[in-house]
Amino acid sequence: MICNRRRVGLCAMMALISVSVWAQGPGPGGPPQSPKAGAPVEMTGYWVSMVVEDWKYRMLPPTKVKSPPPGIFGGGIGVPVNPEALKVAMAWDPAKDEAAGDQCRSYGAANIMRVPGRIHITWQDEQTLKIETDAGMQTRLFHFGAAQGSGGDWQGVSQATWESLEGFQIPGLGRLSGLGSEKTGSLKVVTAKLKAGYLRKNGIPYSANAVLTEYFDVATEPDGDTYLLITTTVEDPVYLLQPYQTTTHFKKQSDAAGWSPSPCTAR
Amino acid sequence: MNKITGIVTSALLMSAAAYGQGLGFGAPISSNSGIDISGSWSYGGDQDADYGTAAGAVADYGGIPLNEAGRLYALAWDASRMTVRQQQCAGYGIPYAYYSPGNFRFWEERDPHTQQLIAIHMWFQTSEVRRTIWMDGRPHPPAYAAHTFAGFSTGKWEKNVLTITTTHLKRAWLRGNGIPSSDEATVVEKLVRHGDRLTVFTVTKDPVFLDEPYSKTMINLRNIKDPTAWLYACEDGEEIVGRSDGKIPNRLFGKNPYLREYADKNGVPLLGTLGGGATVHPEFTAKLKNPAAAETEAMAETVPSHGPQQASRAVNPDPNDGEIHVLKVQGNVYMLVGDGGNIAVQVGDQGAFLVDSGEGKLSDRVVAAVNTLSPHPIQFVVNTSFRPDHTGGNANLEAAGEDPSLPGSFFGGQAPTGATGFFQDPAHHATLIAQNNVLIRMEGAKLSNAMIPADTYLEKRRRKYHNGELVEIFYQPNAITDGDSIVQFRRSDVIATGDIYDTTRYPVVDLKSGGTIQGEIDALNNILEKTGYEHDEDGGTMIIPGRGRLSDEYDVAEYRDMISIIRDRVQAMLDAGATLDQTKAARPTADYDTRYGAISGPWTTDMFVEAVYTSLKQNAPSQIRRK
Repeated sequence: MICNRRRVGLCAMMALISVSVWAQGPGPGGPPQSPKAGAPVEMTGYWVSMVVEDWKYRMLPPTKVKSPPPGIFGGGIGVPVNPEALKVAMAWDPAKDEAAGDQCRSYGAANIMRVPGRIHITWQDEQTLKIETDAGMQTRLFHFGAAQGSGGDWQGVSQATWESLEGFQIPGLGRLSGLGSEKTGSLKVVTAKLKAGYLRKNGIPYSANAVLTEYFDVATEPDGDTYLLITTTVEDPVYLLQPYQTTTHFKKQSDAAGWSPSPCTAR
Repeated sequence: MNKITGIVTSALLMSAAAYGQGLGFGAPISSNSGIDISGSWSYGGDQDADYGTAAGAVADYGGIPLNEAGRLYALAWDASRMTVRQQQCAGYGIPYAYYSPGNFRFWEERDPHTQQLIAIHMWFQTSEVRRTIWMDGRPHPPAYAAHTFAGFSTGKWEKNVLTITTTHLKRAWLRGNGIPSSDEATVVEKLVRHGDRLTVFTVTKDPVFLDEPYSKTMINLRNIKDPTAWLYACEDGEEIVGRSDGKIPNRLFGKNPYLREYADKNGVPLLGTLGGGATVHPEFTAKLKNPAAAETEAMAETVPSHGPQQASRAVNPDPNDGEIHVLKVQGNVYMLVGDGGNIAVQVGDQGAFLVDSGEGKLSDRVVAAVNTLSPHPIQFVVNTSFRPDHTGGNANLEAAGEDPSLPGSFFGGQAPTGATGFFQDPAHHATLIAQNNVLIRMEGAKLSNAMIPADTYLEKRRRKYHNGELVEIFYQPNAITDGDSIVQFRRSDVIATGDIYDTTRYPVVDLKSGGTIQGEIDALNNILEKTGYEHDEDGGTMIIPGRGRLSDEYDVAEYRDMISIIRDRVQAMLDAGATLDQTKAARPTADYDTRYGAISGPWTTDMFVEAVYTSLKQNAPSQIRRK
């Protein structure tokens, strides 16, 4: 049916019926789908990091920050740190971290996706997506629904949602905001309650008050190559002048080839 | 509010209340769009802070999957190359344009009657890139169409992701330190909006300069206020006064004095700075654990390997399907593709004016194609050289044509008894024109009179006012042969170059027929003396090459730069006493072979290197050397 101005009333009514039906969920009387069952995109499997962004800082052994000026453009180090953070970074001592058993300070949630290596994504249960890393052998748990755990460790507590377009598309009328939503395929993860760690291996710090917001998207190329894109914002009232924004990407592997668990290293 | 609208609104309100949420009409989106990205954005990421626009040190290629050709091209790059006139205002390719600081803007173009999305336009501030992303499902142009810095882009929404596919890009930069992307590259972008963040993911596939796809992400932030600055105009000037047009700044292989500068300053192992597919993958860290081995491997990467020799990986722009393909160039001029060399056709209220006649295998189809463009017969055919792929159709096109300027004239009735070919009945044939050496060489080859231009010229310029514009034919002495011409259509602003410029291979410098490498470089510079660009080295004067795709000034300059740089390398080897075999073994064309090289066929890379070597040796120490 073409919804023209003469038929606007009828079209609107039909649209409302559609909304009403849609609002009931997957079927008459059926329970809502679990996050796993309702996942709009397949993220599980093995992925290898493509070390392109900030290559120098990620791929090479860390070098101590000397004395760059702080600034919103990172003062030459690419992180918008404040003077206090610079002090901490300039005092970085990997031996001290090792002695304290803190070799994993750069493997915390705010940096672990930047560490070259492979990740393995699985569903731990219907409500929890799990990411394991071979570099540093870390595990991140993304909980859909209420956040779980008390945090205070390297990976903190992560709450996940499938991102949606606000509103609902009404054929012929457009999008009605506030009327439900439409999943886009993006996974949004907010992580807090972290143990203080490093944004880079060379001791650029983030505090326990840091909050990490990540969007995970899957992009498939015409030739079938599939990539995982991670858009990350770190907000840290203690050490950052403004949110620290990065993007990172991984390429999908067909199997576990190259998976090589290795412990954290401070150097 | 009329009665019906009121009822509908009430119903909506009730329904929304029942659903338990607020109500409002959000921004409408069309049936073929996902997320609205209209508005202005700025690069917002903190990563890669060292690489905005013209930045990056020499030999800072880590994380870029350069192949041997790409690495050598970058190592041969000299920052002074940017002072060459055609480089000064060169545009930014995709994805490089995203790295420019400043703002960029999207806006939609919609059909005024249906409101269907036709295109999304982009404008990048500091790089002044104009870009159109076609959203209406149109196909990409054929391979023989022109390229631009922004390329030809088509887009498609998939939920909140805009996927853009771009082809027809020019040879541009991946980073402002000489890392090249070729005109064979294709780029697929994914634009994902998350609130006021726009993640841009690009995958560049470049068979010429990359080992594997180059994937990269970046983040952009939405500007709440419209930025006040949107322009960054460029006009080229005389940056190095007195430098010859034929001198292109470059570094000889293995002689870049800044090779280690970045590595030493940043404590980066040299192997890491040279890029390559391996540097993108986590396993690369293991390679660096043996510094001696890494150093040896790095040094080997700074000069051409011992082989094997590489052939062009470029798509052949000639469809080779037995058809003649017509491409509108601009003004009154068209390009015909399919019968060997390209044919230029100028039409108007007089007879058609052609440049070259192709191989002659498809002459009937050439004539048919010309007939679709002009109601008048072919009147003139200029041969840019004597080569068979440009003169093979001479007899057929001459016979199919007519020169209305001759009937009733003195010449039209003066055919001597026993005359053959054109001279038997000149009025009822097209007139073939060429530089006089073409006639001499074709006569020497004992070709039939019908094949041989009867109307020849000897001096620098031949001119005709035809079809409403001045057509000038310029002699280019000792370029690929001793009888080369280029043809300029002044009002249409088109130049047909013959084989002096060929996008499919190294120039076929035919020493036995009078060609020289310096004459070839001079001829390319002569072409560039007559050209201009419309915007940031795109458009303006259009160039029809002897073979290959439609081009413009920048494309010709890149070709000229290549030949000049290769000449310098061969000359340096000659100066060092290298033999021809040693010169060939050193692979002085290694950074261009994946684009122009051949290891078999009528014009191999070895034959080209031999032509350069021999030409330079014959002329040494000629005053024209390194002109």
